[in-house]
Amino acid sequence: MKKLTLAASTAVALVAFGNVANAADNSELDALRAEVQQMKNLYEGKIEALETKISKLETKKVEVATTEKSVPASSGRTVLGNEFNPSIGVILNGQYSTFSNNNSEISGFAVGEEGERGSEGFGVDHTELNFSANVDDVFYGSVTAAIAEHEGSTEVELEEAYIQTLAGAGLPQGASIKAGRALWTLGYLNEHHSHSDDFADRPLPYRVFLDGAYNDDGLEFSYVLPTEDFYSEIGGGVFAGNDSPFGGSDGEGINAWTAYARVGGDVGDNTSWRVGASTLQGEAGSRTSNEDMVEFIGDSDLYIADARLVYAPTGNNAEQEVILQGEYFWRSEDGTYEDMDAGSPVTAFDDSTSGWYGQAVYKFAPQWRIGGRYSQLYSADTPAGLAGTALDAAGYDPKAYTAMLDWTNSEFSRVRLQANREELANGQDDNQFLVQYIMSLGAHGAHKY
Amino acid sequence: MKILSLITIGVGLLIAAPANAELKVFACEPEWKALAEEIGGEKVEAYSATHAMQDPHHIRAKPSLIAKMRNADLLICSGASLEIGWLPILLQKAGNAKMQQGEVGYLMASEYVDILEKPETIDRSMGDVHPEGNPHIHLNPHNILKVANELTDRLISIDEENRDYYIIQKSSFDYKWELAIRRWEKKAANLKGENVITHHKNWVYLSDWLGLNLIETLEEKSGVPPSSSHLEKVLQTARNNEILAILRTPYSPSDASEWLAEKTQIPALVLPFTVGGNEQANDLFSLFDETIRMLKEQK
Repeated sequence: MKKLTLAASTAVALVAFGNVANAADNSELDALRAEVQQMKNLYEGKIEALETKISKLETKKVEVATTEKSVPASSGRTVLGNEFNPSIGVILNGQYSTFSNNNSEISGFAVGEEGERGSEGFGVDHTELNFSANVDDVFYGSVTAAIAEHEGSTEVELEEAYIQTLAGAGLPQGASIKAGRALWTLGYLNEHHSHSDDFADRPLPYRVFLDGAYNDDGLEFSYVLPTEDFYSEIGGGVFAGNDSPFGGSDGEGINAWTAYARVGGDVGDNTSWRVGASTLQGEAGSRTSNEDMVEFIGDSDLYIADARLVYAPTGNNAEQEVILQGEYFWRSEDGTYEDMDAGSPVTAFDDSTSGWYGQAVYKFAPQWRIGGRYSQLYSADTPAGLAGTALDAAGYDPKAYTAMLDWTNSEFSRVRLQANREELANGQDDNQFLVQYIMSLGAHGAHKY
Repeated sequence: MKILSLITIGVGLLIAAPANAELKVFACEPEWKALAEEIGGEKVEAYSATHAMQDPHHIRAKPSLIAKMRNADLLICSGASLEIGWLPILLQKAGNAKMQQGEVGYLMASEYVDILEKPETIDRSMGDVHPEGNPHIHLNPHNILKVANELTDRLISIDEENRDYYIIQKSSFDYKWELAIRRWEKKAANLKGENVITHHKNWVYLSDWLGLNLIETLEEKSGVPPSSSHLEKVLQTARNNEILAILRTPYSPSDASEWLAEKTQIPALVLPFTVGGNEQANDLFSLFDETIRMLKEQK
């Protein structure tokens, strides 16, 4: 305690001395002395208070337990009995689309329901309902149901239903386990809900290789490595193998797995980046696509590389922002294909297909963004047995051009205009025009990078 | 197999890397980083997630922040939903048990001061209003002191070994700060009752402290760019009243306040708002020195 008082009086003395030296006349000197004395009294009072605090601390370690803490000003909800209700969020997502071509086949590829071109005219395609909350001190839980229309009937799809360990669950720092059904960590877009996408539809590789997104049932482990100057994360999971690009698993055992690694960081104050590599491998018991007319049975191994760069020209992302993003997909399949529509025989297939997209989005004013995207697929050589089927690309590589303009009134509402030119099969040009709104009601969690 | 063992070795090395002895503070805004440095001195290493040119409400949960948060010991933010768009995802992703809500390492400054503008009722048609009240608490130096008290407690709880050091640092800070407050209050005494127009509602605590009269806000609804009809209304108010200045932060868009300044000859001021907001404002003391100097210049 002596040490403390000594240091304190030295500090006071120093300040006093400094002031004295600069004082011009005696009256000012007296005034300063009085002020110093006043400050000294104040200061001694402080020390006394701090000393009391120390002795308190010595007898009892400070516990900042949630239960003891006085309710902070931030707990805005006062409705009794509702405290334990989960956060509820609704995404209203509506679209109006026009297409210039009746056909939307993707040459050389068979696509699932989610990967198909959307419906023409009005549609409230993906209205999402989300409930989430901490289950207890160890788990967090979240459910997202998508209410979608498919061919005139309204379906409720369980998009996500997962639990995830919280920090402090006893796992090593940076580690987490997620189980259930979720948009798993894969590439860049897969783990994001489509309402947070920068375009109204997913790029071609997502449509053909993942049928929109991979949200199988399973379990994933992730670990943020203890690197401090840059971000690095590794992880992987095991899955039932029931969602495209798999399907038809008998529900027994593990039929698919993933692994990923990511690094990211900053360049200067205003640019951030992330690159990643991931793989999704497994066995498809029966993957059906093209309205159940095409069936694939066999091994499907997908590799994805993704990169993203965000740059804020003025330093303030709210004002102006440039986002560059791209992903490359490569898929190797070994099994059999059958196109029942074309009456093809069950044909052995052992080949690879690939695709990529690149996009740029520029926020030029706080509420306005423009963007462009190019997607390209590379089909496989057609085995003789599949000639004339949906999988016969005849050497054609599908591509699509996209331009968009969106207006964000607040962080809860966005309206978007988008024009696509899809050249998905030889001679099958399709000019599309889409108007989309995305609105968020209620709780809306923070978005990922 | 070779690659796998290389990865294993790499991961092993990363985990084995010796931890830095300093207590690591993850501050959401520059003012809290500065405060942590004032109190923590050489015993802490503070990092700010945002800089003065960024709107702390609208940054991205970028990868570097995950890495910093994963390895930090104490989180200090304004709170009151200011960081709602990015902090929760960082907390979840970084998986740092020391800094979860309710832990000693989780400090939301707004929970320790008197919050202004807490809405009675709330609806999102009112714009980006925070249900907890106005989160921009740091421009009242008395609030800084309150947060410093809590911060010192937290530092001591986390790093008991350096308790005496923190107490001495804090005493010295208190002394200097209270002197400074007297100096500022004396200097700014004749600013009392002056009318100001602000771009966004982030000058409420400064006005409350200095007795400035916030006569009008360029943003009619918080976080939504001003509409032309509202600007006309503000213009009328500006013409009918004696206005000291039009205030905005370094990150606020300039167009509305420059437009009004041109129409009315009222000076548009870019106050530093936080540490690093201009060249002179390089710590908490100079932040307030600068703010008051710039306001006084308009008298």
